[in-house]
Amino acid sequence: MSDAALRTTLEPRTTAVAGFRRISGRVSAAVLRQLTKLGWLLILPAIILPIWIVGTNHGWLPEQILPRPQDVLHTLRDMLASGELAQHAGYSLRRVAFGFGIGAAAGLITGSAMGLSRRVDDYVRPLFTAIAQVPAPAWIPLAMLLLGIGEGLKIVVIAKAAFVPVVMNTSAGIGNVPRAFIEVGETFRFTSLQMLRHVVLPGAIPPIFTGLRYGLTHAWIALVSVELLASSEGLGYLLVWGRQMFWLDTVLVAMIVIGVIGFVSDKILAVIETGLQRWRIDDVQ
Amino acid sequence: MNVAAQLRTTAVPDHGQGRLEVRNVSKSFVVNGAPVEALRDVSLDVAGGEFVVLLGPSGCGKSTLLRLIAGLEPEFRGSISQDGNAIAGTSLDRGIVFQEPRLFPWATVSQNIALGLKNAPLSDRAKREAVAAHITLVGLDGFAQAYPHQLSGGMAQRAAIARGLVNRPRLLLLDEPFGALDALTRARLQVELQRIWAHERITMVLVTHDVDEAVLLGDRVIVLAPRPGRVSRIFAISAPRPRSRTDDDLVRIRNDVLRALGDGEEDGSGGTPISGPA
Amino acid sequence: MSSSAALGSLGRGLVLPIGLLLTWEVASHSGLVNRQFLPPLEHVGATAWQELASGELLEALAASLRRDLLGFVFGSGAGVLIGLLLGLSTIADRVVMTWFNGLKQIALLAWIPLISLWFGFDEMAKVVFIGLAAAIPVILNLVEGIHATSRKLVEVGEVFRFNRVQFILYVYLPAAMPSLLTGLHLALIYAWLATIGAEYFMAAGPGIGGIIIAGRERFDMDLVMLGILVVGSVGFLVDRGASWLERRLIPWRAASALA
Ligand SMILES: Nc1ncnc2c1ncn2[C@@H]1O[C@H](COP(=O)(O)OP(=O)(O)OP(=O)(O)O)[C@@H](O)[C@H]1O
Ligand SMILES: [Mg+2]
Repeated sequence: MSDAALRTTLEPRTTAVAGFRRISGRVSAAVLRQLTKLGWLLILPAIILPIWIVGTNHGWLPEQILPRPQDVLHTLRDMLASGELAQHAGYSLRRVAFGFGIGAAAGLITGSAMGLSRRVDDYVRPLFTAIAQVPAPAWIPLAMLLLGIGEGLKIVVIAKAAFVPVVMNTSAGIGNVPRAFIEVGETFRFTSLQMLRHVVLPGAIPPIFTGLRYGLTHAWIALVSVELLASSEGLGYLLVWGRQMFWLDTVLVAMIVIGVIGFVSDKILAVIETGLQRWRIDDVQ
Repeated sequence: MNVAAQLRTTAVPDHGQGRLEVRNVSKSFVVNGAPVEALRDVSLDVAGGEFVVLLGPSGCGKSTLLRLIAGLEPEFRGSISQDGNAIAGTSLDRGIVFQEPRLFPWATVSQNIALGLKNAPLSDRAKREAVAAHITLVGLDGFAQAYPHQLSGGMAQRAAIARGLVNRPRLLLLDEPFGALDALTRARLQVELQRIWAHERITMVLVTHDVDEAVLLGDRVIVLAPRPGRVSRIFAISAPRPRSRTDDDLVRIRNDVLRALGDGEEDGSGGTPISGPA
Repeated sequence: MSSSAALGSLGRGLVLPIGLLLTWEVASHSGLVNRQFLPPLEHVGATAWQELASGELLEALAASLRRDLLGFVFGSGAGVLIGLLLGLSTIADRVVMTWFNGLKQIALLAWIPLISLWFGFDEMAKVVFIGLAAAIPVILNLVEGIHATSRKLVEVGEVFRFNRVQFILYVYLPAAMPSLLTGLHLALIYAWLATIGAEYFMAAGPGIGGIIIAGRERFDMDLVMLGILVVGSVGFLVDRGASWLERRLIPWRAASALA
């Protein structure tokens, strides 16, 4: 048998074995990394929880300052079991979903138009800047006078809060695609559509997602403020109610739920973002 | 300044400072889960005060070798020692001018050069004078207060050379330092570098793609072969200094080196074939 | 850009706002919409004059700005210290950062009930809340800036044998400076948002937020609009001032001069 033939028959097996070793090595290394990460993560609770438990049990921390952790857990369980928590969270989630959806969509359209056309930017920018300067909470009383305190109010306030950062980052992201990349496209005589598809959008995706993530954060801030001021359901209402009754455990549970939902939704956006720009991974040294 | 005169007036203190030994050094990287062999079994002795030039095709591991010698890559096989001591991390005795200028963007040219002297045992005044002298040396007078983004590529590279020279390491590693320069500036800095080398007896290891530069500057020219990076040829250049680019001996060696580079991995003539390490 | 082109874009920029104000004025006078919802501009102007003359508006503005600034100074100061610790210490980063990232997801205003339970409704509680709002973006951006320090520049420091202090002073801090300034800029914006929020929900003492809330309760649209106008103007000035400072403080801007 010739040398070359030998090689072709042998090579797949040896490389397969080597490949397997490499992959299994990588998998166990990854597992190990996750475990050590978890270990580091548990240090902080391992310090705080005992202090909290002992402190509240001995009355060093009055219950008006911090309820016992087991009470918070209890409340969480009860509210989960009774469906109360799901109901309030459902209200809030629906409002954020609608408000953010509308605000972000309008923001993407407006921001793209401003980024692509100097003329549109000229017309819209000053008015937009004026509106953007006023933070969400400040609009609420005005919106309440105009729209009452129904669902419409909440959606509008949340949509406006999401709209502003999306417009800012989209227009900047599309407008600031480096001249050098545009020039590369020009040397290949790209049409405007090709330029948009291959040069402008890929370059603008990171800032657009920054805008979306800020938009979501602002949507949640707006949701909580509008529910604190004018609502009889939702997580924000749960906060006011717990505050009025001096039920710290309810307040803490509502905060935890708000944080968890915020965390998960932000992660989802982050995953979509990395999915959309796999090329960026190679960029990391 | 006249280099020959310099050579004569400089008493050569022969305590062998700046001697470099690279023994059986191998280095691989992991790229996308697969190992890439950047250097295999490289051995190299550089005498104190010697000027060695590394030459080889792109990607053959020249920068990697310099980084290992500088002490920037702790993990490799084999041993590297300076004046008999195994290197461990970086040292002020070894300077490096990177392939990219790597100037601190927030510091002016003179601040960038001064940072190279932060840990040097000199008075503030001496440091100021050294910085000013080196700005003049690389021809950046008038740009001392400029920020890196205000410099051209070649100017930035000259500032980086000044920063590498300013604290007078015993061993200076230069990674394509003149790559971004115009022919005239390049020729001038080559002369200046030789002058500093002759005057200070600094051991120098210089990476270049320019064969003319290699034979003009080097006591020895070491040709590396790629994939994996290894030493393929060594040319000793005994032509007396100061050298002229048109010197017959140099032109002949230059052609030999070019042929060796062109031949790639096949065995050609000229140069000394390398056997195993001594 | 030539000056005539600049004038042209300025002119275009005025079209929408002026059109909007005109429509408003016409609608309000035509009686098509209830004047209570859309008072004519001159009414808003009259209310503004009245509030200014009585000194109430200025007093409220001064009170709001004072707590805004106080909260910003304490919050961003604490933010810089915490950010340095988290950015420079691997251990602190591993132990705390994930938890901090979770904590920052709690929508800002959701802290108000807890803070008011702990600190009551007066000045202290407001400043604590505003400080929290300012600290978060400072910490996040400073840590990110430190972590993003170019490996290539760190190696230069290694070659020069920088010690820990030198690394911080000459490499990490300047590298993180643009990021830190961004964080401080955001801190100013969030502190102002938090000031309004704090004044809504911890309504004790004078403040712009209080004026807006009072306007709503009395169905006084003039007052609400005036309040919003003031909030927006302050936000605008703070934002422009911060941008200007940011540009002044980073003369090396083109930080990509690495390669
Ligand atoms: N940090 C790294 N990670 C992975 N691979 C690397 C790394 N640094 C270098 N390599 C690989 O090592 C090999 C040698 O690279 P090196 O930079 O030393 O080449 P070079 O001879 O300096 O080339 P050039 O003349 O183009 O500068 C290349 O194949 C390169 O891909
Ligand atoms: Mg190289």
